[in-house]
Amino acid sequence: MTEVEAFLLREARLLDEQRYEDWLGLFSDDAIYWIPTRANQVTVQEALSIIYEPRNLLAVRVERLSRREMHVQSPPSRTVHHVSAIEVDGDEARSALIVAEWRGGESRFFAGRVTHKLRKEANGLRIVLKRVDLIDGEAPHRAIAVPL
Amino acid sequence: MRNQGIASERDNGYGARGLQEGEDSPMTQREPERPQDCAQLGIHALGEAVEEVRGRAADDIGLFRFRLTRTDGVRNNMHMHTVADPVVRGNAIHRAAYIDPAVFALEQERIFRRAWLYVGHESEVPQPGDHVLTRIGPDEVILVRREDGGLSLLHNRCAHRGARVVSEPSGNTRQLRCPYHAWSYRLDGSLIGVPLADGYASDCKLPGLAAVPRVESYKGFVFASHSATGPSLADFLGGLRSAFDNLVDRAPAGTLTRFGGSLRLEYRGNWKMFLENAVDLVHPGFVHKSSVDAIRAHPAALQADAITQQGAQMFLANGMRATQWDEVPLHAFPGGHVYMGGFYKQGVIAAEREDPVFERYRKALVERHGEEKAAAVLSVDRFNNIIWPNVSVNARFGAMRIVRPLAVDHTVVDVVCFKLDGAPPEMHDLTLQFVNLAASPASLVASDDLEIFERCQRGLANPGNEWIDMRRGVLGDRRQVDGSVISKGTSELPMRHQFETWQKWMFA
Repeated sequence: MTEVEAFLLREARLLDEQRYEDWLGLFSDDAIYWIPTRANQVTVQEALSIIYEPRNLLAVRVERLSRREMHVQSPPSRTVHHVSAIEVDGDEARSALIVAEWRGGESRFFAGRVTHKLRKEANGLRIVLKRVDLIDGEAPHRAIAVPL
Repeated sequence: MRNQGIASERDNGYGARGLQEGEDSPMTQREPERPQDCAQLGIHALGEAVEEVRGRAADDIGLFRFRLTRTDGVRNNMHMHTVADPVVRGNAIHRAAYIDPAVFALEQERIFRRAWLYVGHESEVPQPGDHVLTRIGPDEVILVRREDGGLSLLHNRCAHRGARVVSEPSGNTRQLRCPYHAWSYRLDGSLIGVPLADGYASDCKLPGLAAVPRVESYKGFVFASHSATGPSLADFLGGLRSAFDNLVDRAPAGTLTRFGGSLRLEYRGNWKMFLENAVDLVHPGFVHKSSVDAIRAHPAALQADAITQQGAQMFLANGMRATQWDEVPLHAFPGGHVYMGGFYKQGVIAAEREDPVFERYRKALVERHGEEKAAAVLSVDRFNNIIWPNVSVNARFGAMRIVRPLAVDHTVVDVVCFKLDGAPPEMHDLTLQFVNLAASPASLVASDDLEIFERCQRGLANPGNEWIDMRRGVLGDRRQVDGSVISKGTSELPMRHQFETWQKWMFA
């Protein structure tokens, strides 16, 4: 297994284990976490996004996930982030993602392609951009609380 | 409650007899005063005698009386309440308004097949032949720009065998052609021809695509009504035409362009909850506490670039004290429309801020309107403008939400936004990101609202307190000379007002 593959699998596991602070630690200071609505969207200025957050807003998202008053995670979800079909091309990794989520007696699934832009920093690999292109980004979604 | 779980005499309406007995009323349990007195206190007392409403509504008994089951299949005692029983009494609402499929069916017929409903923006179909798929109430329709420049709204259902004629969300065409047997139609829906026409008698008149009878545009915002008669769109919008006026006035070129697609939210709850919540100024401190606390713990975003800052300040603003929320005005207009004043005073779109982008924008606006009017346009400080029955407009942030009821316990909300034509492009980026952060299904704010709607829906399925009290702040309601009513921010005026209007459409 390559370093990048191991990194992506660990990232997925941190989300499933609800270790959100550790997950945030994988992002560089200038990172962007992006879930566009539109397939083949090139720039964020083209269309609305389900999430478009620079690191300092992502930190707020992660902080909220630790709060008891976050109603949409009370009780919390259980998830499996299934990452496969990893291809590495220079500083970019592409993969397929399926997230199964169970909460409040109901299950649902997200599916999409993920692009990671990575950078080698002093303390290891860091995510500069994580972009999740859902197959149904334009469809109606119920509240999304756990990062994909 | 006496009749728990058992359908017995139908005396749970709100005739005087029922009220004086009142064991099932949370209001009479807590308050010495009788609900009739509440109705007198409330500016939103019913406009007509209770008995009259009841008498007329009784026509529905035969049509809409059936037993209710909860979604999990367990029968509850809702079957005691039929649509024939009044659902609104004074300033209380029976839970049936949110959970009874018969009420929902009646809403579709009496509100969504009669009212003016938003169907799209003219900028989505600028050229002849341009068309988009949209919805009016439960029906899928095609909004088309005709060759004569007018707009048609056609049911997306071939007049032959019923196939959807258009399946792409948008496009341009000279004629609409059904993929099944190739019946083809002009842009006004009239039939051009059918293959194998000699299979029909020569005097056989074949239909075209059914058109929605009334389509009107107010400053580019296109509404339609299934009802061939009734008030004009401008009259229907009434006091809240101002929301659209202000949005258009904010564009230096005087026009708007819809852009950015849409964000779509879904929740397993009643459609009315969304619009009540959009002007409920008590909930933010509780529902959004986690995002307020989170931004307080990580204030770096408040000092970041303009786009980030704007969102971060929006999170923070939900943390105001009750006394501050009270200062945010609520204003209810005849017709069911309501707006809440602004509460989010920071950020680039706020006129107070000195910002190079905003300054360029302001100059462009001054060129159009002159200093005085430009200042007046920018000073209109409102957050949500609710256009009865299902639209929320945020003029300051160029955003609009359309609430689409799918079932009594299932709702989709489409969030769209507009470019202020003639404004610096950076303003459009601000609009997009504001909407992303405030209104996406993954928003730190909106996601908790969606959760609360689903909790309300599940909770309301339980019997117990049958009536939902909406009297908070009723003593502070102040009627204005134009017939509108104002109240302080923490009042439940918007809910009382929306239900007063709802009752008129449903039962008057």
